[in-house]
Amino acid sequence: MDLGTLRNPGPGFLPLMMASVLACFSLFVLVRGLTGPARFLKEIRWMSQAVMVASVFLYGLLLDLAGFLFSTFVLMGVLFALSFKGKGRWPRVLFFAAATALLGWLVFSVTLKVPFPRGHLMALWR
Amino acid sequence: MEFFGNILTGFQTTFQPINLFYCFVGCLIGTLIGVLPGIGPPGAVSILLPVTFKISPVSSIIFLSGIFYGAMYGGSTTSILVNVPGEAASVVTCLDGYQMARQGRAGPALGIAAFGSFIAGTFSVIALMFLSTPLSKFALAFGPPEYTALIILGITILTYLAQKSMVKALMMAAFGFLLAYIGIDMLTGKARYTFGFPGLMDGVGILPIAMGLFGVAEVLENIDFSGEVSALKTRLGNLFPNRQDWRATWKPITRGTFIGFIVGIIPGGSATLASFVSYATEKRCSKHPERFGHGAIEGVAAPESSNNAAFSGGLVPLFALGIPSSVPCALLFAAMMIHGVQPGPFLIPEHPDIFWGLVASMYLGNIMLLIINLPLIGMWVQVLRIPPRILLPLILFFCIVGAYAANNSFFDVGVMMLFGVLGFLMKRFDYEPAPLVLAFVLGPILENSMRQSLKLSGGNFGIFFSRPVSLTLLVMAGLILLSYFLFKKQRAVLDDKPPET
Repeated sequence: MDLGTLRNPGPGFLPLMMASVLACFSLFVLVRGLTGPARFLKEIRWMSQAVMVASVFLYGLLLDLAGFLFSTFVLMGVLFALSFKGKGRWPRVLFFAAATALLGWLVFSVTLKVPFPRGHLMALWR
Repeated sequence: MEFFGNILTGFQTTFQPINLFYCFVGCLIGTLIGVLPGIGPPGAVSILLPVTFKISPVSSIIFLSGIFYGAMYGGSTTSILVNVPGEAASVVTCLDGYQMARQGRAGPALGIAAFGSFIAGTFSVIALMFLSTPLSKFALAFGPPEYTALIILGITILTYLAQKSMVKALMMAAFGFLLAYIGIDMLTGKARYTFGFPGLMDGVGILPIAMGLFGVAEVLENIDFSGEVSALKTRLGNLFPNRQDWRATWKPITRGTFIGFIVGIIPGGSATLASFVSYATEKRCSKHPERFGHGAIEGVAAPESSNNAAFSGGLVPLFALGIPSSVPCALLFAAMMIHGVQPGPFLIPEHPDIFWGLVASMYLGNIMLLIINLPLIGMWVQVLRIPPRILLPLILFFCIVGAYAANNSFFDVGVMMLFGVLGFLMKRFDYEPAPLVLAFVLGPILENSMRQSLKLSGGNFGIFFSRPVSLTLLVMAGLILLSYFLFKKQRAVLDDKPPET
C-alpha cells in the first residue's frame, strides 16, 4: 500500500501507524504472557460454542437451498437443543424451533418483507 | 428568546404522534432489554437499527435513545429482585438493592431506583440543553489539527479508564482503527485490506461488528449457563419511599446526577463507570459506611441516578463535537451517519429538530418510564421469569435476521459471527470491546483530520503543537499516559469495584 509522504500522506499512512502500535503492544502482552503465570485455552469450554457458530454458517448454505422456513427450523432446533438441558427436552426443542421458524417467517418475511431466499429445493417441490 | 423558540420546536417535534409513538416504544423496549439479563442495550440497539432505516432520522434517534435510557430504568429491577444485573450499569445496584429486597423492602428499593432515575434523567437533560449549544459554537473554530488532538485525547482517556488493562485497551483501540480503514480510501480511491473480497470494498459495517461483540458474544458466553433465574418471592408492598427514605437519599441522588453527568461527558465514561464512582463516593461520604452492602437505600439511589445522568452527559460531546464518548453514543453516531446526518458542531444549527426533538423527547420519555416502571412493575416481574435457555437462541436468531436484513446478504452474518467469536474470546482474556467500537467509529475522522493537518503544514508535525487548543489537548493526553505509568497501583476509583457477579 502507498504510504505517501509526510507532506501528502497516502492511503497506507494511518494503517501503518495503527498496525505498529498494535504490533508493539502485542509483543508486550506476548512477552508478559510467556513469563507470567500460565493460563491455557483449555480453561475455556468451547464445544457448544463451536457447534453454535458452525450451525450458523451451515444455515447460510442451507438458506439458499431449502429456503427460510425449513432452514430456520433446523437452525433453531440445533440452538435450542444446545440450550435446553435434561431429559424429555426434545418435544420442547421441536416446539420452540417450529414456533420460531413460523413466527419469524410471518414477522420478517410476510410483514416486514425481508427478501429471504425462497430456496431452490422448495421451488422444485412446488 | 432564541432558547425558548428552540425548546418549543423540540416539543413540537416530539408531540407529533409518530414521534410520541417511537419514544414510547423505545422506552418500552429499553425497559424490557434492561430487565432481561443476557442482552444489553448496545446489542439490542444494533439489532434494531435496521428497523429504523425506513423512518425519519428524528424518529429513529428518539427511538434508539429511548432504548438506552429506558434500559437504565429496567436494569435496576433485575438487580434488586434477582441479584443478577439486567445490564452492566446496574451491577452495583445488586449490592444494596438485593439486600433491601431480602429485608422485605423491595418496594422502596424499586421506587427509589425509578424516582432517582427520573430526577437524574430530567436534570441531566436540562444540563445537556444548556451545555451543548455553547460548546458546539466553541467547536466551530476547530480545524483538522484540533480534531486529531481531540480524538487522541479521547482514546487516551478511554483506555486509561479501562477496567482491566490499559495496554490491552490500547491494542483494542488500534485494532478498531485498523478495522475502520478496511475498504476504499476516501482520498485516493484505493482499496485497502479487502483481500479480494468484494464484500469488503465498502468496508465493514458498524452493525455486524456491534451485533457480534454485544449480541452473539453474550449468547456464546451464556449458552452453557444451566442455572435458573429465580426472582425473589416477596411482596412488593408500597413502592413509594417514605419521608425517611427521601431524607436519606436526596443528597445521594443529587451527587449521583452530578457525577453521572460529568463521567458521561468524559470519553470512556460509561454508565457502568458512573454507577461505580457514585457508589464509591456515597460510601465515602456516608456517616455509616458499614451499612453499605447490607441494604443501604443510598447505595441504590446514587448509582441508579448516575447511570441515567451518564447517558445525557454522553450526548454533550456527541452533539457539540461529533465525538461519541461511549458505546451507546457510538451507536447513535452510526445511526445518524446511516440517516445521512453528519454529527459535529454543525449538527445543532443545521438539524435543530434532531437535537431539540431528542431533548424534548427525553423529558417526556422519563415521565413515560416512571409510569412504565412503577405501576406496571408486576408485568416486568413476570418477564423476569422467562428462562434464559429460551431467550439465548432467540437473541442469536434476531442477530442473524438483523444482520441479514441490513443488506440482504449473508456476508454480514458471517462478519457478525466472526466478531461474536472474537468478542467471546476477548471477554475470556480481559480485552474490552468499548475501545474497539469507539475507535472504529472515530477512525475515519482521525484519518481525515490527520492527513489534512499534515497537508496543511507541509508534512510538519509541529502543526499539532503550535495551535493552543490542540497543544493543550495533546499535553493532557501525555500527562494521562505518564500518570498511568507512574501511579499504576493507585487508581483508587477502580479498586472499589465489587466482586464479579
